[in-house]
Amino acid sequence: MALLEIDQLTKHYRRGKVANDGITLSVEAGEVFGLLGPNGAGKTTLIGQVLGLLRPTAGAIRIDGVDVVAQPAVARQACSYQPQTSASVDNMAPRLAIELVGRIRGGAPSAVRDRATELLAALDLHEWEDSRRPLSGGVARLVAFCMAGVVPGRLVILDEPTNDVDPLRRRSLWQQVRALADAGAAVLLVTHNVLEAERCVDRLAIIDHGRVQALGTPAALKAELGASLRMELTLEPDARVPGRPPFGATTTPVGRRLFVDLGVADLTDAVRWAQALQDGGTVAEFAVGPASLEDVYVRRVSDAEEVIDVAVA
Amino acid sequence: MSRSLESWRLLLRWQYERFRPWLPMMVTIQVLLAVGVIYGLALLVPDIDRGTALYLATGAPTLSLVILGLNVVPQEVSQGRLTGRHDYWRTLPVPRLAPLAAEVTFWLLLQLPGTALALVVAAIRFDVGLHIGWAVVPAIVLVALTGAAVGYGLAATLPPQVTGQVTSFLSIVILLFSPINFPADRLPGFLQVVHRVLPIQYMADVMRGSLTGRYDDPAVLAFVVVGCWCIAGLAVSYRAAVRRP
Repeated sequence: MALLEIDQLTKHYRRGKVANDGITLSVEAGEVFGLLGPNGAGKTTLIGQVLGLLRPTAGAIRIDGVDVVAQPAVARQACSYQPQTSASVDNMAPRLAIELVGRIRGGAPSAVRDRATELLAALDLHEWEDSRRPLSGGVARLVAFCMAGVVPGRLVILDEPTNDVDPLRRRSLWQQVRALADAGAAVLLVTHNVLEAERCVDRLAIIDHGRVQALGTPAALKAELGASLRMELTLEPDARVPGRPPFGATTTPVGRRLFVDLGVADLTDAVRWAQALQDGGTVAEFAVGPASLEDVYVRRVSDAEEVIDVAVA
Repeated sequence: MSRSLESWRLLLRWQYERFRPWLPMMVTIQVLLAVGVIYGLALLVPDIDRGTALYLATGAPTLSLVILGLNVVPQEVSQGRLTGRHDYWRTLPVPRLAPLAAEVTFWLLLQLPGTALALVVAAIRFDVGLHIGWAVVPAIVLVALTGAAVGYGLAATLPPQVTGQVTSFLSIVILLFSPINFPADRLPGFLQVVHRVLPIQYMADVMRGSLTGRYDDPAVLAFVVVGCWCIAGLAVSYRAAVRRP
């Protein structure tokens, strides 16, 4: 039995907006599970229901087999949570905020202090640990992560944990996320950073318009593409989107960019095709690389505007 | 039970730490406000006889406790809802009313120095002899908790954007149209009837009675009415705390 089981979860808001529409997924203990999707896809609504802040319109949520829609207190005990905003830090010195949450979650004082020290060191936050000055966005977010990880629940829910965090600490943060899972927690990770998710999650679900559009390991999802390479063409302003290439690959236009799925056998033809488009003034530049999770994402998420946001992030 | 107390204690610590750098300033403002109310209200009444003086002296702490519950607490809650702190606390494994208890305790403690000083100042300024009995402790706690429970319920239910306006409106109405600083018979007839039902008159009575030894209504009746409102307020707050939209 998975630690978290979500079954046909549906959430309609009062004004008729459907935020979640029959979502089914499960997260095992020891697993980092990514929830990917554009802004407004329904990710935060989903975790709000798991945490007992929102009531589902229909469907079931079970943690360790317990129906937490009926017993939200069980969810609060089982889940530790890093919210998207850093309001949880609340003007307190970081160490104090971390230790307070640890104590509230039932940790013994000395164990909480040691664990706070460990996390502050791992994320290189010593400089700020007793500071009451306003924290930068990235530091506040790391502190909020420590608050979720100091006495972790069996299910750790992290909502966009790496936003605003610098590249080095980001790497340390991912190590700590993995360490939580290795210690036996199920980690549910909300993000729209596809490239990071590809490296860090065991499995993931791509959610859009409140529905699961794809679910599996990064490798399995990429295999669905049936292509090992991806060509990206940047179109000249005002240029018309080129038609289907002669070698018959699938193309996905996203704004001024065009993605083409390729097999290795098509590489020569593809480069020749792209070169001709560039010579003809349709394409400004092009590049070929290995297919990535982002390609799966681009294909599954229908709203092109949102896709551009993700690629830029 | 011990787990509930521990939750309350830790959330109280959270409140304390959150405001720690500004506490001296906040206590100073509370003291100035409490003492200012004594002097300021006296300006409204040119000839202060002994009865009026007693009303002003005992009305000031009542008023500040009511304002605490119906103004300070709701504004804090609605700000917490806007910043996300309110929801974050709701995800913590604590009893549903622990945040309310921590909130009320914090603001009550913050206000006590001002309230105590205001009473001393009032006793000197108006030369009224106060007979402070043991009932003052349950009276203060009950009045503060009742106001705060109603205020918390309001703030947890109303959209946070309008909570400030609603609670400011309530404060002014309570200041001008409630028999806290003057006897109820000065109010128009219909307001007297309204105040036989609302808790404010009885809140003023339990405070005045516990500070002077003289209650307008039988002491038991006043405490029971305030107690009933307190339970009702807590029930509304509890419903708001467990509500899942």
